Amino acid sequence: MSQNKVGAVMIVGAGIAGIQSALDLAESGYLVHLVEESSAIGGTMPMLDKTFPTNDCSMCILSPKLVECGRHLNIRIYTNSQVIKTEGEAGNFKVTIKQQPRFVDIDKCTGCGSCAEVCPVKVDDEFNQGIGKRKAIYKQYSQAFPNAYAIDPQKCLYQTMGKAKGKDICKKCLKACQAGAINHDMEVKEIEIEVGSMILNPGFKVFDAASLEYYGYGKIKSVLTSLEFERLLSASGPFDGHLVRPFDQKEPQKIAWIQCVGSRNAKINKNYCSGVCCMYAIKEAVIAKEHSHIPVDTTIFFMDMRTPGKDFEKYYNNAKNNQGVRFIRSRIYEVTEAEDGSGDSVIRYSNEDGQISTEQFDLVVLSVGLEPGESSKALAETLDLKVNKFGFAELEPLTGVNTSREGIFAAGAFSGPRDIPETVMQASAAAGAASALLSQERGTLVSEKEYPAEKEVAGDVIRTGVFICHCGVNIGSVVNVPEVVEYAKTLPTVVMATEKIYACSQDAQASMKELIEEYKLNRIVVSSCSPRTHEPLFQETLKEAGLNAHLFDMANIRDQCSWVHMNEPEKATEKAKDLTRLAIVRASMQQPVQPVFMEMNHDALVVGGGVAGMTSALSLADQGFVVHLVEKAPELGGIAKRFSTGFRGEDIKAFLAELVGRVSSHPKITLHVGKEIKDVGGFLGNFTTTLNDGEQLRHGVAVIAIGGQEYQPKEYLYGQDSRVMTQIQMDEALVRHDDLVAKAQNFVFIQCVGSRCEENPYCSRTCCTKSVKLALKVKAKNPSANVFVLYRDMRTYSYFEEDYELARRSGILFVRYSENDKPVVSKEGETLVVTVKDHVLDRPIEIEADVICLAAAIKAPEDGKKLSKWFKVPLNNEGFFLEAHMKLRPVDFSTDGVFMAGIAHSPKNMEEVISQAKAAAGRAGVALSKEQVESAGLTAYVNKRKCTACGTCEAVCSAKAVSVDLENRVAVVNDALCKGCGACASSCRCGAINLRGCTNEQIVEMLNFF
Amino acid sequence: MSSVTEEIRETARQLLADGKVDVVIGYEKGSLPLKATPCFVRTVQDVDKLIWDETCENNLAAFSYKISGKKAIITKGCDSRALVVLLQENQLVKDDLYIIGVSCQGVVDKRKIENELGEIIEATIADGKISVKGMSGSGEFTFAEVKDATCQTCRYPNPVIEDIHLGGTVEVPEQAVLFADVLEMEAKSDSEREAYFGEQMDKCIRCYSCRNACPLCYCQECFVDCNTPRWLTGGVNRAENLFFQAGRVLHLAGRCVDCGTCSRACPQGVDIRALNRKMSRDVLEMYQHESGISEDVKPALNVYSGDDPEAFLVKE
Amino acid sequence: MFMEERQVNVSDTDNKTYQPKIAAFLCNWCSYAGADLAGVSRFQYPATIRTIRVPCSGRINPLYLLKAMANGADGVLVSGCHPGDCHYISGNYVARRKFALIKSLLKHVGLEEDRVSFSWVSAAEGVRFSEVVKGVTERVAALGPNNGVFKVKDGGGTDE
Repeated sequence: MSQNKVGAVMIVGAGIAGIQSALDLAESGYLVHLVEESSAIGGTMPMLDKTFPTNDCSMCILSPKLVECGRHLNIRIYTNSQVIKTEGEAGNFKVTIKQQPRFVDIDKCTGCGSCAEVCPVKVDDEFNQGIGKRKAIYKQYSQAFPNAYAIDPQKCLYQTMGKAKGKDICKKCLKACQAGAINHDMEVKEIEIEVGSMILNPGFKVFDAASLEYYGYGKIKSVLTSLEFERLLSASGPFDGHLVRPFDQKEPQKIAWIQCVGSRNAKINKNYCSGVCCMYAIKEAVIAKEHSHIPVDTTIFFMDMRTPGKDFEKYYNNAKNNQGVRFIRSRIYEVTEAEDGSGDSVIRYSNEDGQISTEQFDLVVLSVGLEPGESSKALAETLDLKVNKFGFAELEPLTGVNTSREGIFAAGAFSGPRDIPETVMQASAAAGAASALLSQERGTLVSEKEYPAEKEVAGDVIRTGVFICHCGVNIGSVVNVPEVVEYAKTLPTVVMATEKIYACSQDAQASMKELIEEYKLNRIVVSSCSPRTHEPLFQETLKEAGLNAHLFDMANIRDQCSWVHMNEPEKATEKAKDLTRLAIVRASMQQPVQPVFMEMNHDALVVGGGVAGMTSALSLADQGFVVHLVEKAPELGGIAKRFSTGFRGEDIKAFLAELVGRVSSHPKITLHVGKEIKDVGGFLGNFTTTLNDGEQLRHGVAVIAIGGQEYQPKEYLYGQDSRVMTQIQMDEALVRHDDLVAKAQNFVFIQCVGSRCEENPYCSRTCCTKSVKLALKVKAKNPSANVFVLYRDMRTYSYFEEDYELARRSGILFVRYSENDKPVVSKEGETLVVTVKDHVLDRPIEIEADVICLAAAIKAPEDGKKLSKWFKVPLNNEGFFLEAHMKLRPVDFSTDGVFMAGIAHSPKNMEEVISQAKAAAGRAGVALSKEQVESAGLTAYVNKRKCTACGTCEAVCSAKAVSVDLENRVAVVNDALCKGCGACASSCRCGAINLRGCTNEQIVEMLNFF
Repeated sequence: MSSVTEEIRETARQLLADGKVDVVIGYEKGSLPLKATPCFVRTVQDVDKLIWDETCENNLAAFSYKISGKKAIITKGCDSRALVVLLQENQLVKDDLYIIGVSCQGVVDKRKIENELGEIIEATIADGKISVKGMSGSGEFTFAEVKDATCQTCRYPNPVIEDIHLGGTVEVPEQAVLFADVLEMEAKSDSEREAYFGEQMDKCIRCYSCRNACPLCYCQECFVDCNTPRWLTGGVNRAENLFFQAGRVLHLAGRCVDCGTCSRACPQGVDIRALNRKMSRDVLEMYQHESGISEDVKPALNVYSGDDPEAFLVKE
Repeated sequence: MFMEERQVNVSDTDNKTYQPKIAAFLCNWCSYAGADLAGVSRFQYPATIRTIRVPCSGRINPLYLLKAMANGADGVLVSGCHPGDCHYISGNYVARRKFALIKSLLKHVGLEEDRVSFSWVSAAEGVRFSEVVKGVTERVAALGPNNGVFKVKDGGGTDE
């Protein structure tokens, strides 16, 4: 490793992973070079309509991040760029980037689109998967950053025909552009940068369905890929979200999804499960029903339903039981075009019992798998990285993010198929790893953002500007936006009101700034989505326009209006007006608020000394922070102490010993083993945790990594017969060559014991793979053993599919059972008998078992409730910790300064635990790297004239931020401690204490204008 | 002349003479019959003005924080409870206070007499009988007949806090049912209650006598007078009057000591106490809290318990 | 001005189109998020509530409820984090006592019990939020327009 480290990181690929890594690193004091091959950042996520399992609008949750990343001072974005050469070693790489000419000056382009209007060349729009058209000068999508057009040199008339010959062909765009942004003479640039580390997230491409002829893709018009279908559903798609068949505009009434297209297929060297398709197919089926105004019949043809992620099973059950999505377990033979001339498709398939059926559909959606893109392969080659046989980057075992080269990390689908939360987790983990590598260089290359001086508004006439957002069709299709705009114009203080297709887009933000100038606005109201997600974005714009960020309010006319009154457009419009009016009233009474700075304790607390906790602790310590690691058991290790082999054959005992060794000897880690937490107080930057021995730990952040527990089965004679054991017990028995297993001949594995049932309505995720691994182990030791796996769906996602296939080839018998017809274990004399109904044979079979291994569920941690109370963080219904956002904040709590990792969040395997633990450490490191804690300043304040010093405020303040100054007979607020809850203000009889941003005056005035 | 009056005068004389207090807050005979008036005795010469009888109806705690300096205060049971709350709420400094406790048999409700005899012209109290000459006739009442409603349900006739106790104590009769009056009201139908309180609110002229008499209404600016924000619009009507009265009751939640001063002060005879009693009962029932009993027990709304009742939640 | 508009609405309440207008005070961290989740999940509910976002249910001064009633809101819904979940530790505990007392007092003075409703809705309870709004709407609608004991009849609620 280089001694001359550079405090900068290069991130390749600006999808959600790249953006997350970039933001994490830039926020923790590193300069980021973000290299993106296409003309805009965003990656695949902007193409998606909604995201599972929350059905959040993909664009909506991503767009604040796009903007934040796009305008971050310490993130340098290189679009149309590729890495062509690297030299050096970890800590100090020299990288050469080749930037293709965009032919449009990003700084000059306003994104107005006049150029595209006049451009005569229409080409298939890649962003819309070729369903719609774009021009040769184009912007990928409306919220794209940079908000600038780009010329496609392969399609542009001048570039292709004129330039070389020196002829002035076309060049219409040049004339149309008022900003003078177009420059057809731009040339390829080579840029050299120095970075200490690299994070690679080039993403994936989807499988080319046309290569498997029997699916009919490319030949039958009514066969689409799932990504094409996403674009059909999307409000910003080629049909504005109206669900129609692209070729005849007919509204489909019967839609089928075919799973595993280009996945789980050994014949074409795709013997892995893409992991995301089951969930996206369910989501598309549910959303299709929702989008269409006619009833839509949806059917999913699948082999195994693989929904092992957090809250996925519930989503699946809801689709099946409440939304009427039909699920058919089947093998597809072929898709052909219907002979009736309807353009429909006919699917021929075999059912589980071998019977052949056909069914006709208006539309067939192929759930295409994920595979490495060409640029991923090229990148791996340029950087000389190890790849696996499918072409994905091969990560070092049990590191979560390390590639085969030191200092180079990977996140997202570069190393295998992955969904968004896992990708984001890995992105934060990679950022944390890079930060750990470069911790001495933190802060050396970054600069700070400067805002224009804040305009003085005190005493000025209130001039409110109102922006009403269509949010594509999300609002506009229900709420009559123009009517709301006209209404807003009639309200007091309003000097201008206008509508925006996407108020959050870069161009809308720019226009907002201009309008603030033009109309001398000093209050801004945006009626759009939830302030919980978008308030910071708009406030940033206010600051950039020289306004205090708090001269602002939002009306939530989407999440709490158009989305929940979809069938009542008039009432929704009335409500939107009312909400807008209330926001205008509140905003008109807002006063500038200045932030408050508080001291930051730069130490971290990690709760839990298992693999997750130790990994987090090590990562934080390596990032340069002092860590207190608390473990209630007498020794470190957690549940992993009972494991022998990892899912990729790793020696867990050795791994664990090394991890414990490193944690124990790290100079920055203080161990508190055998200690329990008794109490926790405080908040980000200033926590105090009291241990049971009375020791008080002061820390700025906390990572909760307390693991889970193994379900103790009540079924299948567990606990009554020693031959019935859980997976962990079986693993232990195999390791110690217990006669019970060593001499056994007949093994029966029963899956989903305590999972996917009423009591625990979730999938425990790891057990299918674990059983396959154990079964293979048994078979390897004793090839003549009879091994049965009784399962509901085999959920060997990702590369574990190979193990599943190997198991079948090794003669292990997989017998499916259904939820309402579970296997029965009985004892006939001393013989254990398992009875299960075989769905292929359609009759019960009896197996005499020597060993029965139960895939016992992973349950939520015992201490979850206590920690939930102490740290003020929520649990979900099953007792696992609930993250701030399922998709984009997978390790954060909504409470600042508290993070989670490992099983306490949801069941997952060790590799995933490690990735998440590093992610939590990465996120915690972002918080700790700040000099001070900044609070928004929305604190309580006292009117001395009214105050009677009665002390009620002091009594009700949980933050201990208010105290009574008896000498001056007045209550005093400590701004640094005040969290702004307002309990004091509502308890004050005299009306002497009030809350900035939510004053009595504002609320009463809102009620006056109710 | 009751012996307690004698003792009060003697004690006051001593305190003033010794310079232990600057003022003694007590009662003197008022200009109207059957109504003593608060008085502030600052000199030894004036101590003989002080009296103690069934006409001493004001809650003197209301004056305790308005008068600066060291003060002695003649304190009935309910006055003492108010003092406890005022001490808890930083309105009084204990060292400045000398509490002269007297046990109270209850005070006269003049309105009861006036209802029968018209405006009172002359009255004498002797041997437990009250002889009255009124505008529309004369009569004689036993004290029990004209005892104020508050005093009939009083459970704290003896001061809960005092520096000296004068006279004997009053035995507290066991009450089979607490808050029987509130229960009776609760038993009525919604519309009956609405009608009753509507009628009461119609009488209110928003003179704020209730507030001014209340020992615990000490805000610098009452919410009804507040302009930022304007909670009320200034109209005097049933709805706004109820807003005021309900708002006041909410502000007295967990604090009201049930002295009845507000009702007695009301020139319109509004049944203000009915609201406060309801609140007191709810606080007692839900949070087992009685205000002003001990300085160590925090006001009910300043604290909470994890298992506070939640019957108010919407039924799902 | 706005009150006049409302009064017009009130007059045609006899026909079936009457939909109450309910002031909904939602705490930012749980109930507002729950309402957002209802939206994200597209759980439909009647367009009757007008949300006033407050940081915490502890911020809700009981006088706000009286004011809402005085200004003619047909109902009030107050919702915060479940006890124990408060983002500010104890805001909802402090509020809970106030809420219990005002609820009881309002009923006592003759305000229809269903006009003012309280609930706890977490950030994960989108369905529940929509159910709560449905239930509250039904009950308030059954009562008809606010002509209750706090309604200031001349519409004098505004400062205009």
